[in-house]
This record gives sequence, structure tokens and C-alpha cells, in this order.
Amino acid sequence: MTEPRGRIGFVPPRYGAEVVGGAEAVLTEMAHGFAARGWDVDVLTTCAKDHVTWANHYPEGESTDGQITVRRFATQTDTPGKARERIGQQMLAGHGANISEQQLWVNDSLRVSGLWHYVLDNADQYRALVLGPYMFWTTFAVSQIMPERTILMPCLHDEPTAYLDLFAPCFSGSRGLWFLSDPEAELAASIHRLTPRHEVIGAGIEQPQSYDPDGFREKFAIRSPFLYYAGRREWGKGWTELLAAFAALIEETNADLKLVTSGVGAIDAPASIADRVVDVGFLSTQDRNNAMAAADAYVQPSALESFSRTVLEAWLAGTPVIANAGSEVVSWHIERSSAGLTYETERELIEALRLVVERPQSLAELATPGRQYVIDHYTPTDVMDRAEQTIIDWTGAPAS
Amino acid sequence: MTILMITPYAPYRDGIAVYAVQEVRAMRQAGLDVEVLSPLPSAAHRHLVIGSATGMSRLLRLAGSYDKIIMQFYPELLFGGCRGRIERLAVWRLLKQLALKVPLELRIHEIDYGAITIDPLTLSTARSALQAAAKLQVHTAAEATTLADSLDLDLSTIELVEHGGNFEPRTAVDKETARAEFGLEFDEHVFVSIGFIQSHKGCDRGVRAFGRAGLGKASARYIVVGSTRVDHPDLVSYAEELQALCDATPGAEFRHEFVGDEEFDAWLVAADTLVLPYRDIWSSGVLERAALFSIPVITTAVGGLADQAPEGALVVENDSGLTKAMAEAAGQTIDLRETHLLSRAELTELIHTRSGRTNDIDQRSPVEQVGQVTMPKPHSARPGVGELKQFVQRATAWQLQPIIDQLNQLQASTAASIAELKENQRE
Repeated sequence: MTEPRGRIGFVPPRYGAEVVGGAEAVLTEMAHGFAARGWDVDVLTTCAKDHVTWANHYPEGESTDGQITVRRFATQTDTPGKARERIGQQMLAGHGANISEQQLWVNDSLRVSGLWHYVLDNADQYRALVLGPYMFWTTFAVSQIMPERTILMPCLHDEPTAYLDLFAPCFSGSRGLWFLSDPEAELAASIHRLTPRHEVIGAGIEQPQSYDPDGFREKFAIRSPFLYYAGRREWGKGWTELLAAFAALIEETNADLKLVTSGVGAIDAPASIADRVVDVGFLSTQDRNNAMAAADAYVQPSALESFSRTVLEAWLAGTPVIANAGSEVVSWHIERSSAGLTYETERELIEALRLVVERPQSLAELATPGRQYVIDHYTPTDVMDRAEQTIIDWTGAPAS
Repeated sequence: MTILMITPYAPYRDGIAVYAVQEVRAMRQAGLDVEVLSPLPSAAHRHLVIGSATGMSRLLRLAGSYDKIIMQFYPELLFGGCRGRIERLAVWRLLKQLALKVPLELRIHEIDYGAITIDPLTLSTARSALQAAAKLQVHTAAEATTLADSLDLDLSTIELVEHGGNFEPRTAVDKETARAEFGLEFDEHVFVSIGFIQSHKGCDRGVRAFGRAGLGKASARYIVVGSTRVDHPDLVSYAEELQALCDATPGAEFRHEFVGDEEFDAWLVAADTLVLPYRDIWSSGVLERAALFSIPVITTAVGGLADQAPEGALVVENDSGLTKAMAEAAGQTIDLRETHLLSRAELTELIHTRSGRTNDIDQRSPVEQVGQVTMPKPHSARPGVGELKQFVQRATAWQLQPIIDQLNQLQASTAASIAELKENQRE
């Protein structure tokens, strides 16, 4: 007789095929992974697709996604956001914020009363509630309802909000913590007292059955060598820094090189390179995999990464990575795999990009150990084994 | 039937919010349709600042959509934004109108009797508003009597509701596991005080009593766990004093942090004795949570605590009672009578120890402790704004910098003058 497993609720702030976000992608894969192993899985989430406006995009209510039940709740964004902006600026300037300000900051954004009360009413039905990333209202507020059943996947990186006292009880008082990498766990332990039940789970990277780089080039009419960036095109993700370096490189070399990007966010390329920056829009998983394989290098300009699955997807596709050394996690991946280059300044970024033009074969060779690194450490089965074991160890089985 | 509950609410660090969440959960599980309105944006369905005549008028307008209103009553909720006596009177009148419009249940957590009995008109207006409520509820008989006596209300119209009626245990850990997680030995007697750190909770009394009884030398520990609810200077200053006191008291420790619900209960499980050395309180949620785990309690007899304390709890009247009760709980007998006389130096030392004074106290005058004035850093998360701020700073520096320099010079001169004055006085 098999042991009763129970129901797990995953609570990402957004959910859906069109949602762009690494943490959301990891939670989605986890949810499907648990469902495939025979667990009852619910996704409890908002109706939002966009993490800036939090506008309700998907219909409220219940639906299914494969074996998963998805319950969506409308967001409330009825506060002006002025307090959040003011306190956020204050924190970024290094002036800190007291606990009253921190509470105002977290509540002056989206709130989801329906989701919160659904969990309040039904938390007993769940063996575990998996929440993340740490800084969103959904995670913070829901984590307080049933901490004894809460597994927090913080997706933490080194930023002012990580240090807020507000979040300390989430790290010390949740039932367990799932980290995506060793550096993330070390960072968390250096900031907050951690519950003794914490584990580096990682995230599974699925191996595509095949790649079609030529098909990608043909589909999007890209004939030149190209750099690729996939994700949110935001200042905080290093997009503007990448554009500036790319523009400088082109000015200095006039090389036949393009910067291809997929994801969301305005392009805002300087006029001098506007015709060299190609936005291929939001890509399907297969197209994104093909883009990874077709690229001459994948660039990760963000210093705010807690895992960076796109870097691992690039390696799996045999593509070298150029990444911002400011991200401890990405630097750690690159140190361990030796399959990429890091830069610390804009000049170093320009010089690293120049290698795509001047030393393409050396760079391509650099990528070779990357694929094995991903296979050795981030096979979905291994990740799911680790995650599943923690749920079994940390939470009580439901009555049979 | 739709019920509106008006209350501070999650996810704020607030005792009444925690209480209200548990009541909302119980009511919804009982099949009632409950919506929540909170004064600040929160997990509530609505938010509205009602601590003024304007706020109460708005509440009155939306009240018609509900069949019943439950208000977690405390002074700040209704009067926090009032600008004087006239407005407070208006709020009382509007509260009465609200009660006449929709059945209103008031769960009274706290009342500022001083502000009500300040003059006959306020007293009669407040009384009239409370009499119009469908229900007045408090947690203990002592509170009911005080309320009835102070406002000349009929005692029989005030209901008692169990403070912990909707509380449920939030941890399943056993004592050994809890102690291991908190780094406590299993064979020592552990006293715990837990909750928001504020003077009226009297944790300093508990630590002093623990120190007086010499329990730190007797394999006992006293752990105070909690944080200030808000960063008000008085609260921060009290927390600092408490820290110093614990540092100077063998066996005492202040874990200055806010803990979540599961950890809160795990601390109770880890305790041999929960200590509530309160100076002033209406009733205690911590006492109710301790009862969920049958944790022995020592409490002072303030507010309604003597009524609320479970059978077997040690209810003490004063500091020496607290000291004796703690010693007794730890299996020690102490004699508080003076057995030998202390010298002036010893008495002085005792004062210093009990007040948490340490040798590394900042001996500088207050003016010396004020930091130098500097220009704010021209940083910004928004693209371009940092550069703009830098530009503005450069453009205005010629005006501002001399003022800043003069302020710093003034501070330095004042500090120097004070030092000189002290020196002269010594001579």
C-alpha cells in the first residue's frame, strides 16, 4: 500500500505560459513535477500576467493545467503606490526603513484578498504550501497564515529588500526553505536566522529532444552572428548596460553582429544600433531552445539572479555564456563549470563581447563543459527527488 | 447574511490583527459570510482610515451594505486622526448612528477612560454610543466591571467572550525538539516571556526578579523573545534598556526578534514557565496560547489577568511576589529578608546591575552623540534620476554646503563648551 501523499499548494505571484520570470518558471516546473509523481497539486495564484501593473489578465476562478488545478484570484491595486516608491528609494539610497515603513512598503502594491482568504479557509487541506519569491506580497502575506506548513523558496539575491527585518520571520519561522544554489543559501544565512530545515534543491533543466538552430535563423531571418538575451528587459536586469556595451562595441568594430532578444519590456535601443537589435518577441519553449543553440553567445547582464536558468539552458544548447560577475550565483555556476566568462565593468563587458567577433571558435570551445555541468547537477529527476524528500521529511503525512 | 469586521489585519505585526484573523477564520469556517475592512491596506477586502469624523462618515455610508458589523475596538482605531475634543465627540455620535443603522458588536480590547471621563458631555455621549451597540464584549470579568463602573453601564449588558476561544495550536514540536532548535539545554529550568517589547509588558520586572532570586546560578534561564511593534523612540529606548539589563543579569537573555506563529508556539512549548510580568494590560493573548499547551504560568495581577489566568497559575501582586514565584517554579527557596547589610559601594553596584548599566555606556553628552550633518546621497533606482539628483546637488551645493558646515561647527562648538564647563566644574 502506498503512503498517502497529500495535497501541495504552490503559490507563485503569477502563473501561465505567457508569464516571463525565472522564479515563476521554477515553481511551475515543480508543480508539474509533483503532480507527475502522484501528488495532488493546486496552483493558487493571481489573475496577473504583468508584474509591473499587476493588472488582472487571466479570468478569475478555477481551471486545470494538465494534472494541476489552478485557482486564480483578482489582484487589488487600489493604493497610489507613493509610499512604496518613497520608501523603496529610501532603501536603495542606503537609508534603511523602520518596521512601520517596511509594512507600508509591502502593502502598498498588489494585494490579493481573495487568495489570502482562500488559503485562510483551506490551509488545513494542504500538506505543504510552497511560496516564492520572498519579496512579493503573495508570499509575505500567505506565509503568515500557516507557517507550520509553509515551504519558502525565496529566490534571494543581494539587494536592499533582502535585508528587511520584515522578512526575517519568513526565513526563521517557515517550516522549511528551498534554495536554488549554494550562494543563495549562504547569502540567506548571512542575513537572517534560518529555520534548521533548509536545503539546496536547485531547479531542473529539461533536456530538449533536439535543437534546430538553422530553423530559428530562418524563421526570424537572422543571418549574422548574434548575441542572445532572454528575459525581462529592465534596468534592474542589466538590459540598459548591455545595450550601452553593445553600442560601444559596434562603434569600435562595426562588426557584423546582432543582439537578439526575447521576453518582455521595452527595447529602447540607441539609434546607432537600433537596426542591430532584434526583438523576436515572446518565444515558445522550443523556439527559445533553438535560439539558445543558434546564438554565438548568451549574455546574462543581470546582477540580481538567484539561479539564472537561462544560463544553464544556454550551456545545455552548447552555447558559451558571458555574464555579470556581480551575480554571485552566476559567477558560481561559471567557476564550477568553466563554461563562460564574467565581467565586472562596462569595459570588460565590451571586451568580452568583442571575443564573439574576434575569437568565436575559442568561445564556442569554452561552452563544451557547460552541457555536462547541467546534466550532472540539474537533471529534473534529481531536483524533484530532493524536493520531494524534504516535503516527506518536514511535513506530516495526511491521515490515510 | 454578510458581516463586516472592522479591525487591523494581517499581514501587520499587531496583536489585535492576529486576534481578528483567528476570529475571521472561525466565522468563515462556520459558514458565515465575513468581509474585513482595515484602516491600512492589508489582506482585508476593503481599507478605510476611520479614525476621524470624516472616516466615520464614510464608514456610515458603506455600512448599509452589511447585515452586521463587528468592530475590534481600541482608541486609536476611532480617534487616531481626531484633532480635538469636538471631533472626538462627533466620532462618538457617528458611532451611535452606525449602531442604530446596522447591528454593531464591539469587541473592546482597550478603552481610554481618561479621555472619556474628561467631561460630562463626552462621558454621556460615549455612554450613549456604547448603549446603542447590539453587543459589548470584553474578555474578563474585571474588564467588564471596570467598563460598567467607569461609564455607568448596566453590567449585565456586557458579555464575556473567551479571549482564546478561536485559538488553535500552531506547532506540533515536542519540548526536546523545541529546545534543541533554540539552543537550550533540556535539564535547565527555562522561563520565557514573549511578545511585543514595551514597558507596560514589564519584561524588565521579570529579569530583575530572576536576578534577585539568583536563578542564573541555579541552572535556570530567562529568555525574553520579541520585538518592538513599531520603531517609536520610547519603545526602541526601552528595548535597549532591556538588552542592557539582560546582558548584566546572569542567565537572562533577550532574543530581540519578531517570530512567526509556529515559532511563537514552539517557544511556549520550550518553556517550563511562562512569565507575564505585566504592569498594565486588559487581557493577554499569550496567556491563552500558553493554555493550549498547558504551560505553567506566573502572572502579575493587573487588568483582567487574575480572572483570565488558568487554574494553577501563580498570580502575584508585586515584585517580591514575582521573585518568590520564579524561585519556587525553579525549585529554589529564597529568603528576601536582609541577612546582611550591604556597603554603599555594594548598594551602588546593585543599582547599576539591576538597571543594566554597563561600563561601556556612551559617556558623551547628548550633543556629542548627534552625528554630523551631511548631504543625502544622490542615488536613485530609476534610470536617470540619480544623475538628475547629482546635477541638482551640484547646482545647489554653493547654498547648502555653508549651512551644513555651520551646523557642524555649531555642534562641535557646543560640545566643546559643554566639555569645558564640565572641566571647570570639576576644578
